[in-house]
Amino acid sequence: MEIIERLASFIIPAVLLLCAVLMIKIKGGGKAFMTGAGEGLRTAVRLIPTMVMLCVGLSMLCASGAVEWLTGLISPLTDRLGIPADIIPLILTRPVSGSASTAAYADLLERCGPDSAAALCASVIMGSSDTLIYVITVYFSAAENIKGTRHAFPVAAAVMVLCVVLSCILYRIFF
Amino acid sequence: MIEKCFFVLVILSIGFGFCTGNMSEVSNAALDGAANAVTVVISLCGAMCLWNGVMEVLKESGAVRALSRLLSPVLKHAFPETWKSGAGRDEVCAALCANILGIGNAATPLALSAMKKMSGVCKDSRASDDMVTFAALGAASLDLLPTTLIALRRGAGSASPYDIIVPIWICSACCAAVTVILCRLSALFAKGRRRRGNN
Repeated sequence: MEIIERLASFIIPAVLLLCAVLMIKIKGGGKAFMTGAGEGLRTAVRLIPTMVMLCVGLSMLCASGAVEWLTGLISPLTDRLGIPADIIPLILTRPVSGSASTAAYADLLERCGPDSAAALCASVIMGSSDTLIYVITVYFSAAENIKGTRHAFPVAAAVMVLCVVLSCILYRIFF
Repeated sequence: MIEKCFFVLVILSIGFGFCTGNMSEVSNAALDGAANAVTVVISLCGAMCLWNGVMEVLKESGAVRALSRLLSPVLKHAFPETWKSGAGRDEVCAALCANILGIGNAATPLALSAMKKMSGVCKDSRASDDMVTFAALGAASLDLLPTTLIALRRGAGSASPYDIIVPIWICSACCAAVTVILCRLSALFAKGRRRRGNN
């Protein structure tokens, strides 16, 4: 199975190799790269105001103790569904912050052991979900003429719930 | 939209901070968050330049066109408007591939240019169905090789750090499929409601 990790380390070099070969082969390849790179830089700079608002809000929420309070609030419900109580902090931070949920995940591995039920469920959740608030907000910030995200948040939130339930079911099937 | 997000987050954190007596942490976190945002974007700048440059070369050479032709049979059902108009089609394909291959640094810049292209053909300030589908799909992870998770598990002394891969594939595939289905259903529902509203 180590081959998977070895394979993963080849992906970026392979893409860059392809790019380098094509750059030599086509006319104006270097110029195309510069054009794209400049465009990328402009997108990044335009992202800063959105990111400041989002990061300020999210880091305030993480510091306010909301996660601990909500964990206590929803643990009776998750108990009944057969979701281990240890993964609740992870579920609550996952949609909001990549670094906070990775920290919650590392803490869980430490506390329960990496091969415990909670850790395996948590691994599946981490692997098949993303920071949905961050992703949707940043994606839509690139579309400056658009107002509103329509059904993006409800769908993503529903899928996040599905992901949690499914991870617990898959745990029972696989382990 | 971001202002609504910000409003909700600020109200919630001040409310919780007040109730739990964490107000000083909350006020520190606000400034930390602002500094952190700039750090994140600056650290993203290099990746943005690199991957947008690579994308431009691949596009110029026709490699992306070939990729999008390859993925068309599946993706044209998820993004029907984009496939019809062609605006942003190549970017959507490239961004999804970067997501699947686990080049997260490349996925974000490509996804942003895909969103920009797709918004360019919107007639009013209303997001198109495909933009919503694409954003919701971006919020569900498609990573085939969860190397960070495996490294963390190995670091914690797991007996078999790779055990999680197959369940993650199943879970990711289900989540992605459900995301697309829910988005298409919402889009059809909204269309029907608009048509009834016009009559």
